[in-house]
Amino acid sequence: MSYTELQVTSNFSFLRGASHPEELVEQAVAYGYNAIAITDRNTFAGIVRGHVAAKKSGIRILPACRLDLVDGQSLLAFPTDSSAYSRLSNLLTTGNLRAEKGQCHLFKRDVYAHSSGSKFVLLPPESLNPSFDFDTEFKKVVREYRDAFGDQLYIAASRRYSGDDAKLLHRIAQLAKQFQVPMVATNDVHYHNPGRRELQDVVTCVREKCIIHNAGFRLHPNAERYLKPIAEMQRLFRQYPDAIRQTQDIAEACTFSLDQLKYKYPKEVTSEGRTPQEEITFLAWKGAAEIFGAIIPDKIKANITYELAFIEQMSYAEYFLTVYDIVRYAREQKILCQGRGSAANSTICYCLGITSVDPSKFDLLFERFISSARNEPPDIDVDFEHERREEVMQYIYRKYGRDRAAVVATVTQQHHKGAIRDMGKAMGLSVDTIGSLSGLIWDFADEGFDRQRIIDQGLNPDDKTIIKVLQLTAQFMGFPRQLGQHTGGFVITEGKLSDLCPILNARMEDRTNIEWNKDDIDALGFMKIDVLALGMLTCIRKAFDLAKTQYNLDLTLANIPQDDAAVYEMISHADTIGVFQIESRAQQSMLPRLRPKCFYDLVIEVAIVRPGPIQGDMVHPYLRRRNGEEAVEYPSEALKGILGRTLGVPLFQEQAMKIAIVAAGFSATEADELRRAMATFKAKGKISYFEQKLIKGMAANGYTLEYSQRVFRQLEGFGSYGFPESHAVSFALLVYVSSWIKCYYPDIFACALLNSMPMGFYQPAQIVIDAQKHGVEVRPVDVNRSQWDNTLEEMAGQYHALRLGFRQVRSLRVEDIKLLIAARKNGYASVNQLRDAGLSEAVLERLADADAFRSMNMDRRNALWHVSVKGHQPQALVHETHTEEGIDLPVMQLSEHVVHDYAATALSLKAHPVSFVRDQLDQFRILSASSLGKGMNGDYVKVAGLILVRQRPGTASGICFITIEDETGTANLVVFQKMFDKFRKEIIQSKLIMVEGELQIEGEVIHVIVKKCHNFSPLLGKLTASRDDSLALKHSRADEKSSPFLDKKHSNDVIQGKIFPEGRNFR
Amino acid sequence: MEKRFLSLWFGHLATDWFSLRQPQLKSIPFVLRTSSHGRMIITAANTVAEQQGIRIGMSVADARAFVPDLEALDDKPDLAGRLLKRLAEWCIRFTPAVAIDLPDGLIMDVSGCTHLWSGDASYLNDVVSKLNARGYDVRASIADTIGAAWGVARFGKGSLLIESGRHIEAVMQLPPEALRLEQENVERLHKLGLREIRQFIRMPRTALRRRFGQVLIQQLDKAVGQEIETIDPVMPIEPYQERLPCLEPIVTATGIGIALQQLLEILCLRLQQEQKGLRAAAFKGYRVDGKIEQVDIATNRPSHHVRHLFKLFEVKLSTIEPALGIELFVLEAPNVEDHFSHQEKIWEGSGGLEDERLSELIDRFASRFGIAQVHRYVPDEHYWPERSLKLAASFQEKATTGFTDKPRPLQLLSVPERIDVTAPIPDYPPMLFRYNGQLHKVVKADGPERIEQEWWLQQGQHRDYYRVEDEEGHRYWLFRLGHYDDKTYQWFIHGFFA
Repeated sequence: MSYTELQVTSNFSFLRGASHPEELVEQAVAYGYNAIAITDRNTFAGIVRGHVAAKKSGIRILPACRLDLVDGQSLLAFPTDSSAYSRLSNLLTTGNLRAEKGQCHLFKRDVYAHSSGSKFVLLPPESLNPSFDFDTEFKKVVREYRDAFGDQLYIAASRRYSGDDAKLLHRIAQLAKQFQVPMVATNDVHYHNPGRRELQDVVTCVREKCIIHNAGFRLHPNAERYLKPIAEMQRLFRQYPDAIRQTQDIAEACTFSLDQLKYKYPKEVTSEGRTPQEEITFLAWKGAAEIFGAIIPDKIKANITYELAFIEQMSYAEYFLTVYDIVRYAREQKILCQGRGSAANSTICYCLGITSVDPSKFDLLFERFISSARNEPPDIDVDFEHERREEVMQYIYRKYGRDRAAVVATVTQQHHKGAIRDMGKAMGLSVDTIGSLSGLIWDFADEGFDRQRIIDQGLNPDDKTIIKVLQLTAQFMGFPRQLGQHTGGFVITEGKLSDLCPILNARMEDRTNIEWNKDDIDALGFMKIDVLALGMLTCIRKAFDLAKTQYNLDLTLANIPQDDAAVYEMISHADTIGVFQIESRAQQSMLPRLRPKCFYDLVIEVAIVRPGPIQGDMVHPYLRRRNGEEAVEYPSEALKGILGRTLGVPLFQEQAMKIAIVAAGFSATEADELRRAMATFKAKGKISYFEQKLIKGMAANGYTLEYSQRVFRQLEGFGSYGFPESHAVSFALLVYVSSWIKCYYPDIFACALLNSMPMGFYQPAQIVIDAQKHGVEVRPVDVNRSQWDNTLEEMAGQYHALRLGFRQVRSLRVEDIKLLIAARKNGYASVNQLRDAGLSEAVLERLADADAFRSMNMDRRNALWHVSVKGHQPQALVHETHTEEGIDLPVMQLSEHVVHDYAATALSLKAHPVSFVRDQLDQFRILSASSLGKGMNGDYVKVAGLILVRQRPGTASGICFITIEDETGTANLVVFQKMFDKFRKEIIQSKLIMVEGELQIEGEVIHVIVKKCHNFSPLLGKLTASRDDSLALKHSRADEKSSPFLDKKHSNDVIQGKIFPEGRNFR
Repeated sequence: MEKRFLSLWFGHLATDWFSLRQPQLKSIPFVLRTSSHGRMIITAANTVAEQQGIRIGMSVADARAFVPDLEALDDKPDLAGRLLKRLAEWCIRFTPAVAIDLPDGLIMDVSGCTHLWSGDASYLNDVVSKLNARGYDVRASIADTIGAAWGVARFGKGSLLIESGRHIEAVMQLPPEALRLEQENVERLHKLGLREIRQFIRMPRTALRRRFGQVLIQQLDKAVGQEIETIDPVMPIEPYQERLPCLEPIVTATGIGIALQQLLEILCLRLQQEQKGLRAAAFKGYRVDGKIEQVDIATNRPSHHVRHLFKLFEVKLSTIEPALGIELFVLEAPNVEDHFSHQEKIWEGSGGLEDERLSELIDRFASRFGIAQVHRYVPDEHYWPERSLKLAASFQEKATTGFTDKPRPLQLLSVPERIDVTAPIPDYPPMLFRYNGQLHKVVKADGPERIEQEWWLQQGQHRDYYRVEDEEGHRYWLFRLGHYDDKTYQWFIHGFFA
C-alpha cells in the first residue's frame, strides 16, 4: 500500500517552508512517491514550479492549497478537476482582493460557496486540552464542516512526537468515527530533509521578527517536519492503516493537472465579423498599402505572406491583434510607443505600426525568435512614454476588465545581501558584523566564501555563528521572499483570468496582478505582453510636439529622414550628450573607434558596449576586424551563417544561443534553459552542468577547448546582461531618432530632454552647456518669462532661445507656479504683486534664491531682502518702506552668484565655477580640459574639474572611470585599482578634483591615466568667501587656523551645503 | 558689581568621553552614530575623523567609503546632558553659579571669583587647562555678557578674554551665528551678504524685525548687554546622611537601638517626602577611642519603612561593640532609588510580587542567611528541559512566558542520571529500568516526546522522553538520548513526578 504526502508547505508560504517546491518533488521521487501535494497557505504561487519539476521526473503533483480562514479552522483543499480548481482559484482571488497585498482574508462562507468538486482535509489542533480531549468548540467545527462538505471532508492526523501522539490519534479516530469523517495521515511537511530544520527555525525568526535566542516556543521542538520515506509513514500509522489508504483515495480522486488549464486568447480584437486570422491578414495588407503605397515591394510581399502563414500555423493571430490593439490605443492618445522583442521586428509588426524599424533593411528571420519546438507564444515588448504608460495600463484593465487582465508577478528572490541580512539578524549578529559580511558578497561563488576574504573583513572565519550564518545564507539564497509586480507584463485571457490563477492586489494603487511569474506563465503557455516605460520616448514625443509648434514639422518615429550622413558624423565624434543609449562614457569612447556609418552599425554599437560582450572579450576582436587589422575568419562553416553579420564575433544573445545549438548540439529547449539558468540564479549548481555539456558538445564537433570556453564565458555574460539583436534593433532606431533631433534641432532636443528629467546619464547643467555649445541661447528662470516647463522663445540666431522653466528650481511645487502664471497678466512689477497672487514667503524666497527677479531689476540678494519681510499686509504703510531705503546690502560677486545658481537650479548660465579659480590653476600649470587634445600621447599633465560621474563597472577589474568638467569642456580620467585604493578619499570626497597623470590619445579618444589626485574643493569654498564684499571686514587669513569654525563649518558648509551636485556613481 | 561670565564650549564632548573610557580611540578616526530612517547617521566625530573630512550628519556608509577603517560606536541618547551636568557640578570649584548650556557648553557666572586666581587671565587659563587635563577639548571665553562670551568662545579669533567694557567691539566682529540664532535666520543673513554682526547691528530695527523676527533683536541685545540674561545654576545634591551626636557616650544595646530608631525616623521622613527609598544603608558608631563600628543592610526594593529597616538592622546590632562608649551615630544611605508609594487598597489582596510584605520577608531571610540562599525561578522559553527554567535575575522579574503545557516532573534533576533499561525498539517505552540499584517494572507509559537539540546553543543528539509509572505507582521521567537506529543510544532518568 503506497502513501501520498498531502500536507506540504514549500517556501512559497513565505518564511514558513524551508525547501523549494522542486526540492520537495525531487525528494519525493527519490523515495518512490507516485504523487505529492503542494499546499501553501492561501496561495497557488508554488504549484507551477512543482508541476514542472514533477513532470520532468514522471510523478504527479496535486495542485492544492491550505486555506487559513479568518473565522475557522484551517483546511487543505484538493481540487478534483479543472472546474473545481477554477473555483478554488476564484476563492483565493476573493480573499486576496479584499485584503492588502500579501494577505488573504477568507471566511467559512466563502469556502462553502466555492467548495464543490474539491476534497477538504480538516487540520485539527496540534495538542489536546488538559483533560486529554478536543475542546467542544472543535467538535462543533467538525460537525459544521461535515454538514457543509459532506463526504468530501477528511480529517488530518500527524505524528508530531510531542508526547501525546497516541492520545491525539485516538481522539481523532474517535471523531472520525463519530462524524463519518475519514482520517488521513499527513506529516505536515515543511522541508524536504531534516537538515533544513535549522533554516526553517531561522526563517521562523525572520517571520516573527525575533532572534534565534529568544524565539522559544515559536520554533518547532524537533526536526520531524521533513518528507518521510513511505515505509516510515506506514510504520508510524501502523495502528491506523486506513489513514494511509485514504491518502491514496484522495490522490486518485484528484486527477486535475495544471496541463489541463487551457489558455485562450481574448476574442474582442477583431472587427466586422472577421476571424482573427482574417483580421490580421486584412490589417497587414492595409498597413503595407499605407506605408509602401499601391505597389508593395516584392520582398515585403513575400515576407508578409510568409509570416502570415506562419502565424496561421501557430495560431498567433490573436496575440498580434492584442498587441496591435494596445498600440492603436496609444497612438490615438498620442502616446509614443515602440515595440521590441523576438516577434516585433517582423514585417507584419512594421505594417501594423507596432514597430518603426523598416524590415526591408534587415534579414531577421521571423521564426528564428519563436521557438516553435516548444509552442511558446511569441514575445513582444512595447515601450511607452514613461510619464504616460499608466494610461495604457489602465486602458488594458478597462478594456478587458480586471477579471481578465492582470500584471504578471515577479517572485522577489532572496539575493546575497538580503539573505545575509536576514540570516545574520535572526542569528543575533550585530549590524556591524552583518555589514562586514555583506561586504563579502562580491566573492560569493558556488563553492562558498573565501576564508581570506572573511579575515580581510575583520571577521573570524572560525567563529561558529559566522560559519552558520554563511551556510544558512547559501541555502536561503534564491528563496522567494514576496510576490512583486512585474514591470509591465500583462496576461490577458478570453475567459475569467481568476479561473486560471488567483489574482491579488498589487502594492500600487489601481493595479492587480496574478500569483505566477513569467517563467510559470511560459511553462503553462500563457500569452504575455510587456507594457514597459521608457523615458526617451517621453523626450522624443515632447520633441515632436515642439517641432510642430516651433518649426511646423510633423515628425514621427517612422518619417525621420533615414541614413543622414550629418547625423552619423555627429555620432562618430561622440557628440552624443543626452542621446539615447550611446551617451554613456563607455559608449562615447567607443563611438570614434567604431565610427558608425549606417543603421546596422548603431545596432552593433548598442549591443557591443554591454557587460556580456565586454566580459566575453568580444569588443576588441570586433574593432580590429572592422578596421581591417585582423582577418575575418570563422571557426567553422556552420558558424559563418550565424556570425556573418558581425564579422565572426558573436555580439548578440541569439548568436550565442545559436552557437550552443549548432556547435554544441543543444536542443532549442536546452539552449533556452541554459539562458534562463544564467539569468535567474547562480546558486543551484546547474551552471557547471551546462558548461560541461557545452564544452563536450563543441569538442565533439571539432572546436577547440579555448574557443568553447570563450563561448561559455560569453553566454555567462549574456545571461544577465545580454542584448538580443531584436531589442538592439528597436533601441538603435531610438538612438538614431534622438541623434537626428539633436543634430538638426539642438534647441528642441535640449528643451524636451530637460522637460523629461530625471532620465539618462547627465545632469541638467551638462545638457544646458551642451546646448549652448551647439549655438542655442539659454535664458535664465524669470518670474515674468518662465513657465513650469522649459520653453522655446523667439529665434535667437540659428535656433530658438531656450527659456529655463521653474521645474529646474529646487523644491518648487507645480501648484504654486500655476498661481504665479495665472496672475501674471502683463507681468509683475513688484514683489508685493507676487504676494497678492497668493505666493507664500517660502516660495518667493526660493524664487529669489534662483535669481528669478532680474526682469524686475533685482538680483537675488536684493530680491531676498524684499521677499523676506514677514507678516506682510497688502495695505502696508508707505512710510515704513521708506525707512528701508537707506540700507545697502553688500554687492554679490559673480562667483558667489554662480554658487547660488548651482544651489538653486543645479546649473548656472553666468559662468562655470571652475573659471573663477582658473588663475590659481594656471599657477599650478594645470591644463584646461579642451587643451588636453593639443598634447602628445604620453605627456604628463595636470587637469582639474568638477566631478560629474564616477563609475566602477564590475566588468573592469576595479578600474574607476571619472568624468570631470571645467569651463572648457569635459575630460575623461582612468584610475586603476591601485591608484584608486591610494586616493580613495580624494576621489570620493572631492567636488573639484585635480589629477596628475599620463595623457593617452587614441584618435579622438583622450584619457588621462591618473597617477595622483588632489582634493581642490576648498578652492570652491573661496567663491563665496567675503574677501571681495565691500562691507566685509578685512581680517587676516592667518587667523583662521586659530578658530576651528570660521570659514570651514559655518560660513561655507552650512550655506553651500551640497550646492554642487554630487557626482553620480555607477557600478 | 559688574557681571562677568565665562562660556565653555566642548568641541568634542561625546567623543572625548568615549576616548576617556577607551584610550585606543584617541588616535584613530572615530565617530558616534545613530539610526535615522534606516540609515546610520554620524552624530559626533573626533578630531582625527574631522581632519579626514568627516562631518556630523553624514551617513556612516558614506564616511566609510573614504575612511575605510573608521570606527563607529552607537551614540548614547542624552549623553551630552548627563555629561554636562557632571561637569557643571565639577566646575563648582571655580564658582558657585554654573549652568548647563545644551548641547555642548557650560555658562559660569564668574563675577567676583577671578581675583582669587589673581585675575581673569589666569582664571581662564586654569579652567581650560584643568578640563584639558581631564581629557576634554574646550574653548572658553570671559566677557561681560553671556551672549558675548558664548559667541567668542565658539567663533572668536585672537584673544578669548574680552576685557570689561570691550564686549560690544568683540561681538561686532563675530558672524551672525554667534548670536545663537536659528539656522534659517543664519542662512538668510549669509545669503544677504551679512556675514558679520557689524554689518547689520546699526540697521533700523524695524527692518530687521520684519525679516528676522523679534528674536534677532533680542539676541543682539543680550550680546551687547542691553537685555539682562540670567542663568539657572545646577545644585549639588545633599547626601542622604543623618548624624546623632550624644551628650554622653552610649554603651548599652538599648541606647544604640534608640539612636538607630531616631536616625531612621529622620532619614525615612526625608526619603518619604522626596518619594525615595533606600536600597542600602550603613549605621556607624564613632567610639570614644576613635574606632568606628559599622553594620550594613540592603533591601530588595526601595524602602522607607522605619519598622522594617529597624528589624533588618536589629539582628546585626549585637555585633556592635561599644567598648568605652559611642559618642556619635551616623546613618548613611549610599544607594537611594525612586519609590512611589502605592495607594492603599481597600481590600487587601495577596498582592503577589508587588506585596511589600513579601519583599520585606525576603529582606529578613537575606539578612539572616545571606541573599545567595534565596532563589526564585521563572520559566524560560526553551524546549530543552535544562533550559526551560532559569534563575530570576531579580526579585521583581516578571516571567516572560508561561510554563510549557506539556507534563513536566515536579522535581527535575539538574544532571540526568544514566540508567539501564530494557525497551523494545524502535520507539516503544521501556519495560524495565534499573535506577540506584533498584529494579522498576514499568506498568504504564506515555510518549515519546522528541526534543531536538537547540542547534544554535549546542550540537548533539535529540532526546525521546517517556513518562512511566512503576508497580508502586511512582512516576518517572526517562529519556533515550539518540535515535534508535544508532546503536549508541543511552537511557537516562531526568525527574520525578508526584
